[in-house]
Amino acid sequence: MAPSLDLANLPDADVVTLAQQGREAAFRELLRRYERPVFSLIFRMVRDREISEDLAQDTFIKVLNHIDKYRPEFKLSSWLFKIANNVAIDHLRKRQLDTISIDGSPHAASAAEVEATSFDLTARQESALDEMEARELGTSIERAIARLRPEYRSCIMLRHVEGRSYEEIAATLDLPLGTVKTYIHRARHELREALEHVKGPGY
Amino acid sequence: MEHRHLLPDEIDQLLDGEAGFGVAPLQAHVESCAQCRAELAEARQVVSALERLPHLAPSPMFADRIMSQVQVFEPWHVAAIDSVKQWVPASRSARVAGIATTAVVALVVSVAAVWTAVRLDAFLFFFDLAGQRVRVALFDAVGSAIASTFGDAAVTALRVGGITAAVGITGFLALVVLAAVGLRAIFATARRRRT
Repeated sequence: MAPSLDLANLPDADVVTLAQQGREAAFRELLRRYERPVFSLIFRMVRDREISEDLAQDTFIKVLNHIDKYRPEFKLSSWLFKIANNVAIDHLRKRQLDTISIDGSPHAASAAEVEATSFDLTARQESALDEMEARELGTSIERAIARLRPEYRSCIMLRHVEGRSYEEIAATLDLPLGTVKTYIHRARHELREALEHVKGPGY
Repeated sequence: MEHRHLLPDEIDQLLDGEAGFGVAPLQAHVESCAQCRAELAEARQVVSALERLPHLAPSPMFADRIMSQVQVFEPWHVAAIDSVKQWVPASRSARVAGIATTAVVALVVSVAAVWTAVRLDAFLFFFDLAGQRVRVALFDAVGSAIASTFGDAAVTALRVGGITAAVGITGFLALVVLAAVGLRAIFATARRRRT
């Protein structure tokens, strides 16, 4: 039997080392630390609880099953967020393709047709969003985030919800630093515009 | 700076708390311009709302579902160290006693090993003597068993025939054993079929 350790007080790197030594408790500690941040990031990207859980599950399984390949010079959280963002973006791309194909315009001949299908996609997202907002994400700020482009969404979440620096976000998302700054600045401007009509500190 | 309002990027610079060349004039402008001050306050309010967003929780069985698909692999050296640690006493006094005992045993074994190496000829002599006695006792026991089973003639044949006779007798015994096992199997199968 492995000796008992106070895992909650250990830094990530030490918990990862214990996980690499096959300690199940260390795997569970990593899950306990990051299940909410990873799930929140994905949920705010794809806006569907069931799908978000599946994608978050995929993220953790990928990371934990390859924990022996972890390089300590990177933050574990950055690795997790990178994979979480990738699975969320992949899902959004697939969903977009599915919607276009359902709507019968995989080979749209004119700009008007493309516009028609993209309008339909937005309408679907809005209706799904309406239902979700009623339950969990009812605030104006959440609604405004939902209307951002996915790239802006992940950047703004990492910057202001997870408190990451621009440099960390650039490394996590494999984007140039300038691009990250641009995305975050544009996201803030769009949020400000979306929330202009809302008064009070609560949004 | 006095003649125009702040650009969006300049408001972002102030939001990010950048402290470089050119930030001081922006701050000075904000202090003197009510419109830019209001705009900056509004931007700060958005950032503050973002920072207050809670982490959302997945369903309660989320971690268990993941762990059921994670391969927890314990390397052999970790397992070995854990096994050893199991035997290490918990209390300090017991650990000291254990270490002292181990040291004494190690010392005795080391002295014995050194003595054996130094007096190798004596060791080989005693080893050879013991080997001879064991051999004689073994041959006597085997000879008695063969004599009581097959008679003195078998023992004589074994002494005269040497290896050939030994192989013949062993082969015969093996055939007898195989035949017995085969018959037992046939009877067992027949019994199972009847039932």
